[in-house]
Amino acid sequence: MKEKSTEHKVIKATGTNLLNLLRPYILLVGLLILLTIASNALSLVVPKIISNAIDTYTQGNFVLQSVILEFFLVVFFVFILTYVQNIMQTYTAERVARNLRTGLIAKISVQDYSYIQYATPAKLLTNLTSDVDAVKTFVSQAITSIISSVFLLVGASVLLLLINWKLALTVLSIVPVVGLLFYLVFSRIRKLFKKSQEVIDWLNKVITESILGSALIRLLYAEHYEYQKFRAASTEAKSIGFSILRYFATLFPVIIFTANMAILIILVLGGHFVVIGSMSLGNFTAFYSYLAILIFPIFIIGFMSNAIAQADASYQRIGEVLNAEEKKETGGVVSQLRGDIAVKNVSIALDKRIILTDVSFSIQAGTKTAIIGPTAAGKTHLLYLLIGLLKPDSGVIEYDGKNIDAYDKKSLHQQIGFVFQDSIIFNLTVRENIAFSNTMHDEDLHKAIATAELTDFIEALPQKLDTVVSERGTSLSGGQKQRIMLARALALNPKILLLDDFTARVDTNTEEKILSNIQKNYPHLTLVSVTQKIAPIEKYDQIVLLMEGEVLAVGTHQKLLETSPEYVQIFESQRSTSNYELQT
Amino acid sequence: MYKFLNRSAAQAIMNYKLKGATSQEKQGTLVTALGRLIPLLRGEEKNLLITFIAILFSAGATLAAPVIIARAVDVYIQAKNYHGILILSGILLGIYIVGSITSYIQTITMGRVGQRVLFNLRNNIFMKLQELPIAFFNQNRAGDLISRINNDTNMLNQFFAQSLAQFIGSSVTIFGIGIFILILNIRLGAATLVPAFIVLGVTQVLSSWVQRKNLTSLRSLGGMSAEIQESIENFKVMVAFNRLDYFREKFNQANVINYRASVGAGVANNLFAPLYDLSYDLGQLIVLTYGIYLITTGNFTVGLLIGFLLYANNFYNPLRQFASVWSSLQLALAGLNRISEVLALHSDMPVVAAEPNASPFMLEFKDVSFRYPEGKEVLRHVNLRFDKGKTYALVGPTGGGKTTIASLMARLYDPTEGMVLLDGRDIRSYQPQERTQKVGFILQEPFLFTGSIKDNILYGNPQYRDYSTEELHTLLEKENLSDLLEGFEQGLDTPISSSGDTISLGQKQLIAFMRAVLRNLELLILDEATANIDTVTEQLLDKILNKLPASTTKIVIAHRLNTINEADEIYFVNSGEVTAAGSMQNAVDMLLHGKRES
Repeated sequence: MKEKSTEHKVIKATGTNLLNLLRPYILLVGLLILLTIASNALSLVVPKIISNAIDTYTQGNFVLQSVILEFFLVVFFVFILTYVQNIMQTYTAERVARNLRTGLIAKISVQDYSYIQYATPAKLLTNLTSDVDAVKTFVSQAITSIISSVFLLVGASVLLLLINWKLALTVLSIVPVVGLLFYLVFSRIRKLFKKSQEVIDWLNKVITESILGSALIRLLYAEHYEYQKFRAASTEAKSIGFSILRYFATLFPVIIFTANMAILIILVLGGHFVVIGSMSLGNFTAFYSYLAILIFPIFIIGFMSNAIAQADASYQRIGEVLNAEEKKETGGVVSQLRGDIAVKNVSIALDKRIILTDVSFSIQAGTKTAIIGPTAAGKTHLLYLLIGLLKPDSGVIEYDGKNIDAYDKKSLHQQIGFVFQDSIIFNLTVRENIAFSNTMHDEDLHKAIATAELTDFIEALPQKLDTVVSERGTSLSGGQKQRIMLARALALNPKILLLDDFTARVDTNTEEKILSNIQKNYPHLTLVSVTQKIAPIEKYDQIVLLMEGEVLAVGTHQKLLETSPEYVQIFESQRSTSNYELQT
Repeated sequence: MYKFLNRSAAQAIMNYKLKGATSQEKQGTLVTALGRLIPLLRGEEKNLLITFIAILFSAGATLAAPVIIARAVDVYIQAKNYHGILILSGILLGIYIVGSITSYIQTITMGRVGQRVLFNLRNNIFMKLQELPIAFFNQNRAGDLISRINNDTNMLNQFFAQSLAQFIGSSVTIFGIGIFILILNIRLGAATLVPAFIVLGVTQVLSSWVQRKNLTSLRSLGGMSAEIQESIENFKVMVAFNRLDYFREKFNQANVINYRASVGAGVANNLFAPLYDLSYDLGQLIVLTYGIYLITTGNFTVGLLIGFLLYANNFYNPLRQFASVWSSLQLALAGLNRISEVLALHSDMPVVAAEPNASPFMLEFKDVSFRYPEGKEVLRHVNLRFDKGKTYALVGPTGGGKTTIASLMARLYDPTEGMVLLDGRDIRSYQPQERTQKVGFILQEPFLFTGSIKDNILYGNPQYRDYSTEELHTLLEKENLSDLLEGFEQGLDTPISSSGDTISLGQKQLIAFMRAVLRNLELLILDEATANIDTVTEQLLDKILNKLPASTTKIVIAHRLNTINEADEIYFVNSGEVTAAGSMQNAVDMLLHGKRES
């Protein structure tokens, strides 16, 4: 699908079985089973009491008080046991769901960026919500229902066999018939459930895009078109729903009919036994009572088969995430970076599109480097490689002479600040958006804020640093967002700062101030800045000119003016206004 | 006239914030709650009737079977008449067949009703989202909205598809058998029903509490969904800033909140199954003891007692099913509650009537002020005039109000005071279609939909929507736009993923630019639309803009001075106020030395 999809191959077969899911909860489930069996065993006694009462009554030695006492005791315990059992199953199901989510998130959070793009956010969201819920329903309803159903089936069968084995065997012949029916429908319906979850991914994607692109949609009056897109996905969901429904609508009546056949058998055959005198009327009645117990679980299994099929399909999807291959953890070198960077013969292609070809240059600690070049030259991807968001197909990236892979990722990221080109603001307080943790030193935070020229802006906010900014940061202007992103990078107190077209949305005056603030407050910083404007970088130690994924020239402003015609062309394109810019 | 209109508009933007995980309110009781579901079934009358008839038949079958069995026992088995037993068995077989067929009809009809209700609800919410203005999206989290469309509607589907038929069927059966056993023996019958009434009373009392628990649980699910959605969409920041642990922690908080709310809802929902079971057992006890008492007084027979036990069984079994249906109903109602919250919202940006020729300008701002909800004033009494066919530039420090001005020009918002006039008329008097055909606004942050470059260039363009790739190529050639495609290896067919990063921001801006140019607009607003494009390509874009028809009015917001030096007029925007700069030199002076606020 996406680039490097082979790396995300799913390890098959291990643990995508629903029963494996329950292994860690063996104690809880065991307790649950025990409770279920106990309450069901007790409830089996009820018809026995009734049948005894009728028989003793017809024989004339009926004692009302003992019947009522027995009955009350049994019923009271059944009530207590079922209630405790119900609470337990809720608790177990919610625990399973919570831990499954925690597990998913733990897994997702150790994956790299390319995995998220491969799996798509829309699908991961379905995995964490709808899929987990399907599994939860299975645990909360299906497990105990099926256990108690099976238990009731077995219990009632044994009792029936004890009363009259010939009649019982005939009646029980319906059980394998029902089993076969389930099997046939089940194998077909599984695929449909998987498909229906995939349609939810699709719906999620359309909704997400319609929300993220809401301004564009309104500007282009494309609301109706978006609705058509949604309707297509929604219609598909409906038609899959119809297909699933057809199976179940057929399955239920057939099962009910089969179960009813058992009643008929009792009447015809049991009636015959009573007529010829080989069975008492009390036993005949008891047979009916037990049959009611026998049929009820068959219905329940019928209802639950839906939940099981759904959970099974969902758990497979969850398993794909949980069993996805993890990227090999990079090395464990934890060291203070000096700031030397070397890019050696780096090439990368994404989606079979060549992004960078044989890119090499080096940067000395404490210097300033600008990367300049036309749109789609590969500048942003180069920065992604430097921060480790992407891995090169060939070539190496070195920090202080050591391969980037040798470093502990955590310590590396703590020393490299990155300002993304697109504004990414979280639905958090300004403080959290900048510090991104609750443990940052106020000193570092305020230095970063001051450097990004945000002090006045934050002072003007109603709750200062603790003001929550909205999800897509829409209450902030483009430049404010950009500066928050800068503060976020600077708050790390980085050794190296990577700027991706940071100045594009900041006015010249602020830009100047910020750049001199950085110089003053972070004097030993190694700066790598992707930019479009030449004027601010004329005094940089080196400029890398990147075009169509290749390095055309490396050198100082003066040198490039003399040697690179492409650089001169870019310089010329900015000359008309440079007399204004120079005034700064 | 303005004054009158001003007053009606003189309020902050409507509050579109939906309720979060913490707010609480009272829920109705079971009966009133059921009433709220009825409107969803409009148009399904015929299917409901079919279902109802099918239910009557299957309930009739359920009712008739024990009668026949009781008769077989009393009359034929005791009389040892095997022939009679066989005849009754034949009748019983017929009844079972009828029962199965009607049960099929009932399940499939009602299941389809459920699917259609779900389909319509889902579509209605999405449609509503499309009707709501941009302010709504700024105030609500994407993940929560997704949860409302997918998870909450599904609660209703489950109820309609699985539980409603069961609910009706059970009700009919319960009612029928209830009456039947009362007729059979009024005293024993009444005694049998006592536990059922008690348990229904308890249900009614606890109804609103359970529904509240469910609502809290669904809300926390929405909150968690929002957390996940936001984090995963922005995964690269998490990685680069080494904050995946923070992400995990934030998620785990939401997860635990959801866990607690769900356990709470589960405990409430599960209270009823054992309670209904208890009532069943008590019912049986009453039949047995009271029945035996009646037999001793000579008013009853053993055969009738066995029959009565079966009826009690048939009365209480559907009642026990009721317990599970009932919690599914509570969940459905909680879901409906959250859905209704969205459906009840309405856009506060209606199309109003206005007199024509109120202004000779292409665009005019008359005393316009604007504030975001709960925010400070962004624009203060701004007056601006834009002539047809001229080029204007808006400059100023970040956060000064430039984007807000542009948003008002395209009616993404309405001013909180004053009026925006487009081509002589109040901008609010245009139908959206008419307005969007006149005004184009290239946003600061371009957004692309999953699809191809071609899909994105033609997005929202009714004129060229059905163009083939070749036709579009020819068109781009004609409009001098084809050079801009150079960077895309597969040209117009280059695939795009909205959450992917294979297309650079500059390239996204190029696509947005092409999309706008192809729309033949009267007013084109570029809000830092080329900020991430290299200056050489930018010159190309300038040339393209210059070739647009002379009647096109252009408004450019930019930080780069070369993008604005061809403007006929430059406005300086700062602290919500706008001043004409007069000349480029003045503009630069203001930018560099003026008072700043941001």
